[in-house]
Amino acid sequence: MKKRLFAMFLILALVLCMAPAAFAADDEITLDVIICQYGPNTNEWFLGTGMNGTNFVEKFEAENPGIKLNLDVVSWNDVYTEVDTRIANNNAPDILNIDVFANYANEGLLMPVKDYCPEDLFGDFFPSFIDQSVIDGTVWAVPDLASARALFYNVDILNEVGVEVPTTWAELEDVSQAIIDYYDGEVYPWGIDMTTDEGQAAFAYYTWGNGGGFVDANGDWAVNSAENVEAIEYAIGLINQGYTNPNPATQTRYDLQDMFAAGKLAMVIAPNQLPTYVADKGGEINMATAGLPANEGKTSSSVGVMDRVMAFKDESAPDQAARNEAIGKFLKFFYDPENYVGWVSMEGFLPAVNSAVEALVAADPSFAAWLDVLGGCQFYPAAKAEWDQVKQGVIAAEQNALTGADVQAELDALQAELMK
Amino acid sequence: MRYPEVRQQNRKMLLLLITGLVLTLTLMSLPLCSFDVGVYTKKSGNTFVGDEKYQAARKEVEAIAEEYRGQGLDVEIHEDVLERVNSKGKTTSLVTFTVSQTFSRNVFSFIGCGFVSSAAAAILLGLMILAAVLTVLGLSGTEDVLHRYLDGRTRTLRSLAVTALVMAVCLVPVFILSNNVVFSRRLSLYSAELITEGREIFFSKLDRFFFDGGMGENIGDALQGLKLTASPLLWLMAATLFISLVAAVSLLRGEIRSGLLRGGLYVFVAVVCVITLYPYYVMTITAFRSNAETLDMYYLHMVPTKWIWSNLTDIIRRGVPRYLMNSLFVAGGATALAMLCGIPAAYAMARMNFRGKKAFLGFVIMSQMFSPVVLLIGISQLMNTLQLNNTLWGLMLINAAFNQAFAIWLLRGTFVSISSEMEQAAMIDGCGTVGALTRVLIPMAAPGIVTALIFVFINAWNEYTIATVLISTAQNRPITVGITQFSSFNMIEWQYMFAASLLATIPVVILFMSIEKHLTAGLTSGGVKG
Amino acid sequence: MSNGLNRTKWEPYVWLLPSLILIAVFVVFPILIVFKLSFSEISKAGVIGGFVGFDNYVEAVHLPAFKTVMLNTLWWVLSVVILSTVLGFIIAMVLNQKFRGRKIARSILVFPWATSLVIQASVWNYIIKYEYGSLNNVLLNLGVIQQAINWRSSYQIEFVWECWVGIFVTVPFVTFCVLSGLQSIDGSLYEAATMDGAGFWKKLRHITLPMVRPSLTVSTVLNIIYVFNSFPIVYTMTKGAPAHKTDTMITYLYMLSFYERKKGPATALSVIGFLILCVCAGIYMMTVMRKEEEQ
Repeated sequence: MKKRLFAMFLILALVLCMAPAAFAADDEITLDVIICQYGPNTNEWFLGTGMNGTNFVEKFEAENPGIKLNLDVVSWNDVYTEVDTRIANNNAPDILNIDVFANYANEGLLMPVKDYCPEDLFGDFFPSFIDQSVIDGTVWAVPDLASARALFYNVDILNEVGVEVPTTWAELEDVSQAIIDYYDGEVYPWGIDMTTDEGQAAFAYYTWGNGGGFVDANGDWAVNSAENVEAIEYAIGLINQGYTNPNPATQTRYDLQDMFAAGKLAMVIAPNQLPTYVADKGGEINMATAGLPANEGKTSSSVGVMDRVMAFKDESAPDQAARNEAIGKFLKFFYDPENYVGWVSMEGFLPAVNSAVEALVAADPSFAAWLDVLGGCQFYPAAKAEWDQVKQGVIAAEQNALTGADVQAELDALQAELMK
Repeated sequence: MRYPEVRQQNRKMLLLLITGLVLTLTLMSLPLCSFDVGVYTKKSGNTFVGDEKYQAARKEVEAIAEEYRGQGLDVEIHEDVLERVNSKGKTTSLVTFTVSQTFSRNVFSFIGCGFVSSAAAAILLGLMILAAVLTVLGLSGTEDVLHRYLDGRTRTLRSLAVTALVMAVCLVPVFILSNNVVFSRRLSLYSAELITEGREIFFSKLDRFFFDGGMGENIGDALQGLKLTASPLLWLMAATLFISLVAAVSLLRGEIRSGLLRGGLYVFVAVVCVITLYPYYVMTITAFRSNAETLDMYYLHMVPTKWIWSNLTDIIRRGVPRYLMNSLFVAGGATALAMLCGIPAAYAMARMNFRGKKAFLGFVIMSQMFSPVVLLIGISQLMNTLQLNNTLWGLMLINAAFNQAFAIWLLRGTFVSISSEMEQAAMIDGCGTVGALTRVLIPMAAPGIVTALIFVFINAWNEYTIATVLISTAQNRPITVGITQFSSFNMIEWQYMFAASLLATIPVVILFMSIEKHLTAGLTSGGVKG
Repeated sequence: MSNGLNRTKWEPYVWLLPSLILIAVFVVFPILIVFKLSFSEISKAGVIGGFVGFDNYVEAVHLPAFKTVMLNTLWWVLSVVILSTVLGFIIAMVLNQKFRGRKIARSILVFPWATSLVIQASVWNYIIKYEYGSLNNVLLNLGVIQQAINWRSSYQIEFVWECWVGIFVTVPFVTFCVLSGLQSIDGSLYEAATMDGAGFWKKLRHITLPMVRPSLTVSTVLNIIYVFNSFPIVYTMTKGAPAHKTDTMITYLYMLSFYERKKGPATALSVIGFLILCVCAGIYMMTVMRKEEEQ
């Protein structure tokens, strides 16, 4: 009788024991890599067959014997969850591709770039991009890729209504009203995205267009400046007057892009890869780009968004030098124009290294113009430690304002919290 | 059996019925539907009354109106000016010219014009006449007989008459709705050339309906702003029809209530089923749409114009079978493990007395109180310690553990509901406790065990949050996590997402449906004694 | 239930052991970690620091959205559990009748139960999109409406939709629990009642309800736990936007932890939620056990 019982336990014990057995240690270096999923091809590129029949991991491992890649492509929805959970368990990835870095750097989790990045590669990055990843004089991450935002508009709709592209806020309101009148509200004049994932972009578009911004001239947080309040009130005003997509708090960038591709949205601020996207969706939109509208007497500035690659410390690694070298090899391979150009152009992003420019411009001349735009772009102050808090704070302020809260009070509260 | 009151009442009802029918027919021949046909619309932005742009537009519009007048139409020109003062203090205006004519048509004129609504009108008329004929046929010599004493033939005739009337009443809204669909929506879509399929046929029908075929080729350009205004008289018609229906029902007193109840039951079940199936319909339809058609902003197609079967092969290429196998492995393993641990525990809970029984029960229930989301950090730390990170085994163990409570609760109930005599007999025959359990109790408790099994399986199959954190390489993803790759940074690929969802759902649904019968039985034995 | 066989004292515990180990290791251990974390300092990136006492709890309670979220959670649990119980009960009563197609109807009703919540939430999210959602598409093409309707025009309405999806996925479970209860009712009871002249409501009150009460209470308690802990619906449909006004506690603490990086208060909140559930379930178990003892 007892025998059967023991048999059952044996099975249980077996089940429990089998899993660790799957992990056998050996001499080669294994790098844990997390890549964010940018588009439908990312997964294919790194893990499937998207790289001329092979994939990034296979090709890398073939060229670099002794280094194994444990690479995961994670959707943007889950990547913070996964990374943070792994950090909490002292199991941070070796290499991470993500947008933020300040917290990781400030908490001493990252390695300085110079520890692992080969000199020649480091010199290849656009200096203005590298500047965005510096805290206290140390470079903590290297740029992965970038995108520039511009105002895209549907030429046919604007012509039909008989209006010009707006350059100031007041003009924007006029044009919007004209479009609303002409199409009886069937076409949304202006797209706004104040969702929990992207609302900080809206904050940047309007405050930067009013001479405000996240920080003041000294680089200190100044989210509640008079310019910012005016800018956000203006944006909320656009929504309340019915000039925009109806549900800005839940309509994401995807939704706006889709509406634009279907000719339902006349103007939208979007990343440079919008045309690729519209073509993917089968839209035939006669579109053009322009600078972002700014308030009267203020200059607009284009908005750049950059993602980064960073390497985490791992004290448990037996041979630190070998590990650093392996990370360097990974970066070398990653930014090798042969690989990098394909990766960047696949999703329509802009490059971060000089060596890729030539090939990219040759393949698509429109890149040159975008690279110019990128040169004059303003970036989020992601190197400041409180950036996460500010980002969520301004989004919350916008969303509260959408439901009728006072913008000044909301931003004051956020500023007070930041000053604590 | 004759009762004067019965006769009087029957006559009253009959009279009411006849009045209703006649009134409906009269109403149908009145011009019930009026159409405001804008044969031409021109909008001109930044235009002021009297300026050059205005004059030019005006001239253009007048020329067109003249042309239509030449064709024998009685058109009028409307002018609508919308003025706005813009931010620079300048006044801008939008001038809208419409050339339009109004038409009225009665219900009869719809019949034969070939629209959906015409079919509804024709059937409505037919049903009313049928109802009238059937009522007359079922009348002879019955006017002073109570319903329940009627002979079978008459009864059938009357039931049929009522059915016909019910259907006629139901057709009124159908008629109105289909009118709206055809005339407002289809027309606007055709005019804007958002769909071209069937455009010619539709316009030629419209031409015949409005202009007796006189507009020929031009009809497509002419009908730009056709608006239908259904006259309130239509609803009056519905009301009178309804009154005749009530009269007919009263003529047939009795039996109706149970019939209506039965009908209500079917309607209720149908509604519930339709609502339940709706998301699955959406899932299926969308899974086979083309990328562009998933974002059908003009609501053109209820079903895909072209069924894209390659969506399925695409997702198969993108790793979905692998994810399904992973899910199967995790869910299957978790189920086996949960049963392996749960059955002995439930057995002990059901058959043995020991100290701490209640404490164990509390412990088990408490283990359910934390959402896995909350425990992410803890679980991941544990998995790290056990070296089970990024393994399907880890996921399996977690799922088994998180489903223990339900399994034990269900199984305990099942075991309690089965008398212990058989096991005792088996034990006296020389089987051990284990033998009694496996040979006697488990076969007897099969429905409950199957239910618990399926429960655990489905929960494990559908688990998402823990898997996102625990699994960090593509080849180990279960399907719930695998689906998220179709909603990426740049776009959501609805068609792939739903195709993958479909593949993830179908096996479980089939599994669930196959045990549906056991399900209630299992819950009965397990739940009632819970 | 002693059956006269000689069992050793420790035998029941051997039977419980596998289950006990499984739960202790994979559920209780993480719970303990969370308890420990709720008293520790946790950095923004997730690095775990030292003991800070009740700081996290104090911070959690003083969060600006705390009150809204608690109220939302209350509404969410109450509306979903109550409405799905009522609806499930009605549907079960109907499905317990004999009619043609009953089998098919029952099989269909199982569908939402068997579908992953993530998938359900995504589908409904797609259905109620204003610009291209399926609901507008179907209603327009069937001619029920003339103009597309913005089904999510305010956050209150979005919250109602989230509750609806919650109800949609919970109803089948209730239905089948009640059905199982209904099937255990002896038909002769109803016949006797009918003979006594009892109407529909009377039979419902005096026969049906008492007989299905055990199944109903069980399904209700499980539903309270599951609904309270439900995460994917709100997260997929609104992510709590605008500004946590559609968040429930579970999604809120997720957003707090991974978006706002206030991991300490988030852990504290999860312990608070756990305690709330424990109190509710404790009260339930005590009343049920008291009743059992009375019988």
